[in-house]
Amino acid sequence: MSARGTLLKFSPLLAPFLLLFVGGLALAVAQSFGLWLPFPYEGGRLDAYRALLQPYLLASIGFSVYVALASAAASVGIGAVLSYGVWRLPRRLETAAVVYKVPLILPHIAVAFIILVFWTKSGFVASVGHHLGLVDTPADFPSVLYSGNGLGMILAYVYKEVPFVVILCHAALKRLDPRLVQTAHMFGARETHVFRAAVLPHLRNSLHTAFLILFLYTFGAFDIPFLLGESTPGMLSIEVYNLYFRKQLADRPTAMAVLVLMLLFSAVFIVLYTKVAARLSSRERKL
Amino acid sequence: MSGRTFFGLLAFAALFPLVVLALYAVAPGWRFPDIIPARFDFRALEFVARQWRLLGLHMASSVFYSLATAVLAFLICLGPAHHFARREFRGKHLLEGALLAPALVPSMTFSMGVHYAFIRAGLADTMAGLILTLTVFSYPYMLRALVAGFQSYGEEYELCARNLGAGFFTRMVRVELPLLLPAAIAGGSVVFLVAFSEYFLVFLIGGGAVPSFTGYLFPFLNSSDRGIGSALTLLFLAVPAALFLLIELVVARVYRRRGIY
Repeated sequence: MSARGTLLKFSPLLAPFLLLFVGGLALAVAQSFGLWLPFPYEGGRLDAYRALLQPYLLASIGFSVYVALASAAASVGIGAVLSYGVWRLPRRLETAAVVYKVPLILPHIAVAFIILVFWTKSGFVASVGHHLGLVDTPADFPSVLYSGNGLGMILAYVYKEVPFVVILCHAALKRLDPRLVQTAHMFGARETHVFRAAVLPHLRNSLHTAFLILFLYTFGAFDIPFLLGESTPGMLSIEVYNLYFRKQLADRPTAMAVLVLMLLFSAVFIVLYTKVAARLSSRERKL
Repeated sequence: MSGRTFFGLLAFAALFPLVVLALYAVAPGWRFPDIIPARFDFRALEFVARQWRLLGLHMASSVFYSLATAVLAFLICLGPAHHFARREFRGKHLLEGALLAPALVPSMTFSMGVHYAFIRAGLADTMAGLILTLTVFSYPYMLRALVAGFQSYGEEYELCARNLGAGFFTRMVRVELPLLLPAAIAGGSVVFLVAFSEYFLVFLIGGGAVPSFTGYLFPFLNSSDRGIGSALTLLFLAVPAALFLLIELVVARVYRRRGIY
């Protein structure tokens, strides 16, 4: 096919990609340098980037990385074990096990709501604790939400993301010969050992891709922190929102500089992702 | 652990939160320390029933822009996916990585710039602008699914049809599209879900002018009255679930009738 033909074939995708995606990014970069702003900007070209060094923004960066790491690691760990469990179910139950996909259909804000219902100081878990004699009044319940450690957000992400990991791993496990596991059992290997020595190596690539997708998503997502986030330190997405919508116009370049920082950070992991994902067979990839 | 116990625990973990929401929906006054609500009433359900017109509008709008996003994503990805699956060329991996990026970078990074450009172009706060933005954010799932779909059957079908003298459109409609349908539906479902459950982009680009169910839902999730939020969340779950069931049934029937698979 001629080069022009190829270009024509790609144009329906390349046009929106370049115009909206690359164009949107370029605008963010330009505005972070104080260019193309809808108002006269008096700051210097690099002032917005200097503003990134404020302690609260540095804390935000660290906090976002921590929440993303913790949720992605927990989701991948739990998802790997569950997918092995689903794979070992008898056929009839394996089909019925699709119920595990329910949290996937729930929007993120609904998942955040579920976490609120369960984990506030007077929530469902506190009530159960009361009946077990562990919690006397709501004030006795440990603060899971809004306590500065991001636990509420991590819980929400894990509930939402575990099914995603299970889907990816389950697809990979379909290629694993069950006799491998049976043989290991026959030789007296314990369940944990079988999992570590036979199942995990088989799942390695799927787990890596799942981890990267989830890490990147959690790092920059807005919906769950908007409902469950604490203010100090806040997730970067919330800081951008505050800088852009709630503070003065003059803060916009700073908001854009945070976005550029997030973009550069993500770019590193996207390169890593394309390397890792290339090792998966096309059928087992979701992205 | 036996298979049955494991299945029970799995189903419990996935479904129990919904049971709690269902209880809240019929007992908005449920409070600490009751494990079972002390009093049931239909206050929340009555409110939802009274609002059905408004609710229906937001739901219909959400379903519309999500479906439109899925269809648009399919249309723009079809050609490139074919190329990725069938041809080898220099820079293939690089291009594929770049084209997948919109789903991997935080959506905020490009959507804020898009928002600014859309205000200038008059596309902010419009349905068309929203569908475009959602498509750019979610097409990578469709692209992946279609590439996998093309790879799942060989080039021979296409070549054979071409040898028999079928033109481009005949090949598309009679050969390629029916074979590609499962992949298109798989990709379309993901794109639909991503668009349907998105809150931030809809709020930013739609600006409240485009009705959306997530936008309608949000204030109720933040309120101290848990009943309405619970009822609406369950409703939210029902619509895509029903849609997927419908698609599954229709596709299975079409395939049986045509004798494919």
